[in-house]
Amino acid sequence: MALFKALTDKLLGHGEASIAVPILDGSFKPNTLLDQADVVGTFESPSDLATDGKELFLADGNAVRRLSGGAWRDFLTAEGPMTALACFDGGIAMAIDGKEVRIAGGRFDGKRWSAVNGVPFVSINAIASDGQRLYISDGSLTNAVDNWAHDLMNHGCTGRVIVLDPNTGSARILTNGLRYAFGAMPIGGKVWISETWRHRIRSVGQGDEMVLDHLPAYPGRMAPASDGGVWLCLFARRTQLVEFVLREAVFRRRMMKEIEPEHWIAPAFRSGDSGREPVQAGGIRSMGVLKPWAPPRSYGLVVRIDANGIPVYSIHSRVGAENHGIVAVAELGTDLFVLAKGPRRVLKLSIGNIEKEVAE
Amino acid sequence: MTSAILELRNATKRFGGIPAFEGVNFTLMKGEIHGLLGENGAGKSTLTKVMAGVVTLTEGEMFLEGRKVGPRTPAEALELGIGMVFQETSLVPTMTVAQNLFLGREKRFNRLRGTYIAAQQFLQGLNFHVDPGALVNQLGAAKKQMVEIARAVLNQAKVLIFDEPTATLTPEEKKYFFDLVFGLKERGVSIIFISHALEEALQLADRITILRDGKLVVTDDKAKFDRTRIINHMVGRDLSETLYGAKREVVRKRGRRVLSVQNLRVGAAVKNNSLSIFAGQVTGVFGLVGAGRTETFKVIAGLLKRDFTHGGAIVFDDKPVRYRVPAPAIRDGIAYVTEDRKIEGFFDIMSISDNIYIARLAKFGKAIVSSGEAARIGSDWIKKLRIRAIDQTSKATELSGGNQQKLVIAKSFVQEPELIIFDEPTRGVDVGAIAEIHEVIGRIADEGRAVVVISSYLPEIMAISDRILVARQGKIVEEFSAKEATDSAIMYAAVH
Repeated sequence: MALFKALTDKLLGHGEASIAVPILDGSFKPNTLLDQADVVGTFESPSDLATDGKELFLADGNAVRRLSGGAWRDFLTAEGPMTALACFDGGIAMAIDGKEVRIAGGRFDGKRWSAVNGVPFVSINAIASDGQRLYISDGSLTNAVDNWAHDLMNHGCTGRVIVLDPNTGSARILTNGLRYAFGAMPIGGKVWISETWRHRIRSVGQGDEMVLDHLPAYPGRMAPASDGGVWLCLFARRTQLVEFVLREAVFRRRMMKEIEPEHWIAPAFRSGDSGREPVQAGGIRSMGVLKPWAPPRSYGLVVRIDANGIPVYSIHSRVGAENHGIVAVAELGTDLFVLAKGPRRVLKLSIGNIEKEVAE
Repeated sequence: MTSAILELRNATKRFGGIPAFEGVNFTLMKGEIHGLLGENGAGKSTLTKVMAGVVTLTEGEMFLEGRKVGPRTPAEALELGIGMVFQETSLVPTMTVAQNLFLGREKRFNRLRGTYIAAQQFLQGLNFHVDPGALVNQLGAAKKQMVEIARAVLNQAKVLIFDEPTATLTPEEKKYFFDLVFGLKERGVSIIFISHALEEALQLADRITILRDGKLVVTDDKAKFDRTRIINHMVGRDLSETLYGAKREVVRKRGRRVLSVQNLRVGAAVKNNSLSIFAGQVTGVFGLVGAGRTETFKVIAGLLKRDFTHGGAIVFDDKPVRYRVPAPAIRDGIAYVTEDRKIEGFFDIMSISDNIYIARLAKFGKAIVSSGEAARIGSDWIKKLRIRAIDQTSKATELSGGNQQKLVIAKSFVQEPELIIFDEPTRGVDVGAIAEIHEVIGRIADEGRAVVVISSYLPEIMAISDRILVARQGKIVEEFSAKEATDSAIMYAAVH
């Protein structure tokens, strides 16, 4: 019966086979605030931001850099590329090549983990802390951090969130079987999790419940906001074209086999570099302006979510602009620092100005 | 184009004391194409209906070629040489083109073959390529319109009135229609056409008249208009602001997303439409006729079905839903307050309390129906919404328009909905009740429910909405916060 329903749904475009995506409206109403942000640095291979409330840290390739007195200084280096970063108990917790989590400095200097229940880490892409423990997301058991698009196209469902306790050295799985885990954030006794390919934020811990569902873009890392709630990065927009490709197994297999990954019909951190890329050529250009409803391959989006899980407002870099692929955000003082993976920039915005601009 | 063929002097039409238009002085010159523009409710259709004999003037005079006339029926107007082509064609769908052309003019001993030959000759003479033997229900919109036009010309119409002639036409059909209109003009026919598409008015018309709130604002040569001037004349406010109140300055805080419509399709009316509705806010949906607003929300409420294949998705309360009938939508917490309350809104021979009680039963059901409970609920809602009636046993038909509307609102409200959709909530409502109905709508949003108000009246949208969505040609094209919205910006989005 279920097979019959799946077949008829596919034929008629009903249920799961409905190729529909939510619109950017209400709290997600587009603006150009990310494009107006100050650029505080352009880097070779930036991957994550972290703050201890006093300073800003950036994972860039094998190095951690610190923003101090308006200048970036090297803080430490590791033997592999860093894929996630967090400040923890006077030190820095970092994921190296997605396969190992290590603490440098502070009380737990030198602590490291590379597996849970005997299963090695594969793609650690985010670290957060509640002051006692570390919460890490292992995006996929089959694809490395940089191959996230492969995981999407393969309908990956092996993501997991792991809790690390530096006091005991233990590691336990909080939840698994996720359709890509990209971010976990402890909030009020619960842990919010970005389940990226399902376009939702779930809360686990004391009862599993939905925080946000049917998001119009792919959710990623979260960072705490000073007055409760979180900043949520959404690194690419959902489009009907990608949703269509995800439902076309034969086409997708051929595409993955025969076409270079950078030219796949898939979300990306940046676009517009090559005429062989999909979608952009089909954008609607009218009177010399690329219309904002042109289907985007890459997009810049950060959403402010309150402690009840309600989106309050959002900041955007729209189609035709550059600050796309937002993968990390950190609130420091009165400013918001944003990492745009597409142009490899760290951006700075005044939170007061954002709220003034987007206030209803 | 030297002298006037049709003239209205100081023309006024009132319905139940409320003017549809008043003090209008309108002149149609011989052989001109005259565009009649204005918002919904500006009085355009009523004005042309007066000319076509569908309604009669309350005050004022009408002159045809200098002769005072006053057609009381469409047949009388047609005899005078004034024909009107309505948006919904008045052809008999099961008859052939030829039969429709000669309907009412048949000879005593009618020969069908003779009718077809006459029709063929006549249509060829007009250069209309329509098969006279074809059944009307098998014709496309443009061809139906051609038959309507042919019928008017056959009746030797000197004045032809088109009400939204291009609303249902494809771009190719529109081009063909424009050629027809220019052809008619060359034959000396004077033409009035109503349109919401400004481009069409600027393309077709020799002169343009703009109506606003039942008053003629301006008549001028086409060359003296551009889009900005037309929009400014269409939306400049005076009467409406006093009627509906000023724009909202304090906006209610947006709650959680209650409804997400994704890529909805309903035939030609709704095209890939997407929108979200939030709790605790009044979302106003503005658009001109044919923008697909009502159809979109009727699909949401289960009153209309979306396209069977690839019709899009509706997510209510984070659950994908697809209602084929209204009952499950009501059970889930969606209430739809109809724009046509007299037909769909209540049972007119039932009392207020029975009407309200029956609405409650539709959602919650009950094994034993209690007339005492019905009376108590009716009495409660009469007080809550200040429905002016002798008591809860008064029949719905005994109420004024405004109080009937409150009854329809009570029927929805008693179902304790999470999302309540008002379609034209103050249409045909007396002036005094408008503010009261707006207050009720505001109260519902203050309670944290999601409220949608579909209205064709821009001042109403501005007065009650926290957030404004603008629809055009079957989809939402723009979103405004009440603070940033202006008349011109909304109208610009609605027509461009």
